[in-house]
Amino acid sequence: MTEVISPATPEQLREAISWALGSKTPLEIIGSGSKISYGHAVAASHVLDLSKLTGVLFYEPEELVMSVRAGTSLAEIHGILRDKNQQFHFEPGNFPGLLADGVADHAGTIGGLIACNISGPRRIKVGAARDHLLGFEAISGRAEDFKSGGRVMKNVTGFDLSKLMAGSFGTLSVMHTITMKVMPCDEKTRTVLIACDDMQIAGSAMTRALGSENEVSAAAWIAREQVVKLGLDIVTGIGTGIVALRVEGPAPSVAWRCEALRKLLADIGASEELHSANSNAFWQAVADVVPFAGGIGLLWRVSGPPASGGAIAAKLADETGGKIMMDWAGAQIWLQLAGGDAMADKVRDIAVSYDARAVLVRAPEDIRNQVPVFHAEDAALARINARIRENFDPEGILNPGRIGHMIAKRGNA
Amino acid sequence: MPEPDQSTLARRKDIIAAMRDIVPNEGGVIVDEDRLRPYECDGLMAYRQLPMIVVLPENTGQVAAILKYCHTHKIRVVPRGAGTGLSGGALPMADAITISMMKFNRVLDIDWDNRAVVVQPGVTNLGITRAVEHKGFYYAPDPSSQIACSIGGNIAENSGGVHSLKYGLTTNNVLGVEMVTIEGEILRIGGKGLDQSGYDLLGVITGSEGLLGIVTEVTVRILRKPETARALLLGFNSSEEGGNCVARIIADGIIPGGLEMMDAPAIKATEGFVHAGYPLDVEALLLVELDGPKVEVDYLIERVGAIARECGAVYSRISESEDERLLFWSGRKNAFPAIGRISPDYICMDGTIPRRRLAEVLTGMQVLSQRHGLRVANVFHAGDGNLHPLIMFDANQPGELERAEAFGADILKLCVEVGGVLSGEHGIGVEKRDLMPEMFTEDDMKHQERLKLAFDEDELLNPGKVFPTLHGCGELKTLHAREVASKFPDIPRF
Repeated sequence: MTEVISPATPEQLREAISWALGSKTPLEIIGSGSKISYGHAVAASHVLDLSKLTGVLFYEPEELVMSVRAGTSLAEIHGILRDKNQQFHFEPGNFPGLLADGVADHAGTIGGLIACNISGPRRIKVGAARDHLLGFEAISGRAEDFKSGGRVMKNVTGFDLSKLMAGSFGTLSVMHTITMKVMPCDEKTRTVLIACDDMQIAGSAMTRALGSENEVSAAAWIAREQVVKLGLDIVTGIGTGIVALRVEGPAPSVAWRCEALRKLLADIGASEELHSANSNAFWQAVADVVPFAGGIGLLWRVSGPPASGGAIAAKLADETGGKIMMDWAGAQIWLQLAGGDAMADKVRDIAVSYDARAVLVRAPEDIRNQVPVFHAEDAALARINARIRENFDPEGILNPGRIGHMIAKRGNA
Repeated sequence: MPEPDQSTLARRKDIIAAMRDIVPNEGGVIVDEDRLRPYECDGLMAYRQLPMIVVLPENTGQVAAILKYCHTHKIRVVPRGAGTGLSGGALPMADAITISMMKFNRVLDIDWDNRAVVVQPGVTNLGITRAVEHKGFYYAPDPSSQIACSIGGNIAENSGGVHSLKYGLTTNNVLGVEMVTIEGEILRIGGKGLDQSGYDLLGVITGSEGLLGIVTEVTVRILRKPETARALLLGFNSSEEGGNCVARIIADGIIPGGLEMMDAPAIKATEGFVHAGYPLDVEALLLVELDGPKVEVDYLIERVGAIARECGAVYSRISESEDERLLFWSGRKNAFPAIGRISPDYICMDGTIPRRRLAEVLTGMQVLSQRHGLRVANVFHAGDGNLHPLIMFDANQPGELERAEAFGADILKLCVEVGGVLSGEHGIGVEKRDLMPEMFTEDDMKHQERLKLAFDEDELLNPGKVFPTLHGCGELKTLHAREVASKFPDIPRF
């Protein structure tokens, strides 16, 4: 029977990891469990549950910095930030609807978010979650306390281990304290919607928009049949697929840039605008990947050069019959497959042919046991990754197997 | 610095012969003392050491062969870019090969659609902008030395500049690298997309000061140049008022393209040098640049002006032309040579603090100035709290250099005390190496070293930099497994 250990303080966390190290007991690390199915299943008899390790240690809006315990819920953090008209600029999505049946809609902790390095549509302008992690404190797989980074924006003091921890899926250390950069909300947000059913034309439209002077902060393409699932009447009313381009900033600037974008892309199709609350609701739905939520079908995420997005998407749709949504101006493609076949070789071959990478974000456990979830690196990189893992967690007690084949060459795993 | 390895020095002739085999190009291997001299230091000229030899490879294959040879024969290596670094990160060693990357100077690919440029690491920072500006693009990170510093060096130091508040540091603008490990393996990390697989090696290589590998190719993102840029000069009667104004601007949701501050000594020195029209009767001068579409800049200029009035600005001037904007900047950009005119020597320190502690830190610096008997002027990136105290001294006066260094160390300790860090953009190098324990515990340092070991187990790449003492590989690998007597009775279990 799985035993759950729930430390409520960093000291208790260290004690638990020290015991696991001494007894060579693998631990599965979870927060709210909202992303528990992201990655390979972890073979562990014990769960290290961080959901009691909560609390805001400090929040200084004028300094744009917040430090919290890793198990603090994102819902609580977003609420605190909203009160001061601030936000995480990388606008992470809520993934329970995508990944975890039976977990509350807005579940998710800051620790899980950073461990998986999840970033939303504004990624194209402001960077990923990892770019907003200023510092952390953690217990490594050696049961040793360590920290890196700090609380200031500009810091080149020693190696940037924050970058290493972001996206490491809890395989190097267990972070208990996380210090983040926060940013003010923009004065205005508007979204230009352009009718477009063709994903290749959509891709080139997004490339043109991003190459213009209009500082687009998000760019996505939603197919006609997915648009309905967004639940926004004004969007559904267009009746076609849409290219969506967001502009944010001071009010006069936003109005000027939206107009410029509509002129720039007048040859693509009719355009419409979403203002304020509608614009926010639209992009939250894109961040949450709402068109593919509900746990139905396998879901791939293909990430590559943005200008290739349209071509990659078209080829994926053509060769797999799957449904497509493009975000990050084409640099992130979501592919939902209806059947039970992950079509892993086909998806990965298409991705690699465009210098892109494919990750199987959602699939039943039996498929995740058969198909490498993460994109495998070449042998030299895999060796470095493996050495890092061994140096931080020599007994392999932290989330063993979670990233599975990520650190081994594809085919040699 | 580590003691020179006598067995390496004894093999110098063999090593030179091997390097000439690998890099047969004219001038590719430098061995004569006169020609080694230009490489004896980087921008931190207080420390000098002739390298054993200097090698200038011209392609990735040569870099890989050199490093493989060094790994096999256990020879230390010091990577070097343009040599403009300010923390001694490229300080040579008597028993090490300095590898200069300055023959890697070509722009390889401009991909307008992906807004990405692929360059060799010896291309200067400004060289990237020069290659793309004809189509209205630029590369955002802009260290003061951008006319000379190389992008490879920028990656090593995670360089910043006045744009970094709004547009990020090097780490936020690099998409991918090709890198050679000390074992001679060629890695490709990242690319024109926004993701990489595995751990974020691109993130840790950036700012690793040449301790993890040698970068041989770089992919950076480029941005469209804003349509308009205008600057405001704002004068205050105290640095506290200036600091409050910075906080208010940002709290108001305005992130300027540049937000710089100078104290009275710096204002006087720069005005005397470049005659930018700075007011001489204020204690703090803010330089705020707003960029974007004209309609946005005009709107924000009004708002920043209003905030400044509320914060007690006693001087306000807005640039009315591009020439005037550049004139405003000329003072800030020439602050270092301006200090050079009023003092025989100076050290430029580099620490970051939480912005709200600014007045306290500046006051503390004045106390330290009196204690050490040396003058200090301050120019800094006010928007992100990155300070650059310029400590003035005369190296010809016995003991002044040592006093200046002690003064600098005390300033950095003060930065750490108030929640800041030892370096905002210059790196640790040899300059601040011994101050690392001010910020980090032994276990903190060991985890950084474990990352180093994953790349360079024999510690051959740039030894003596960043870490005050390197633990032995065996010591770092020892596992101190602690079996607790009882199974943590205090922790809730289910």
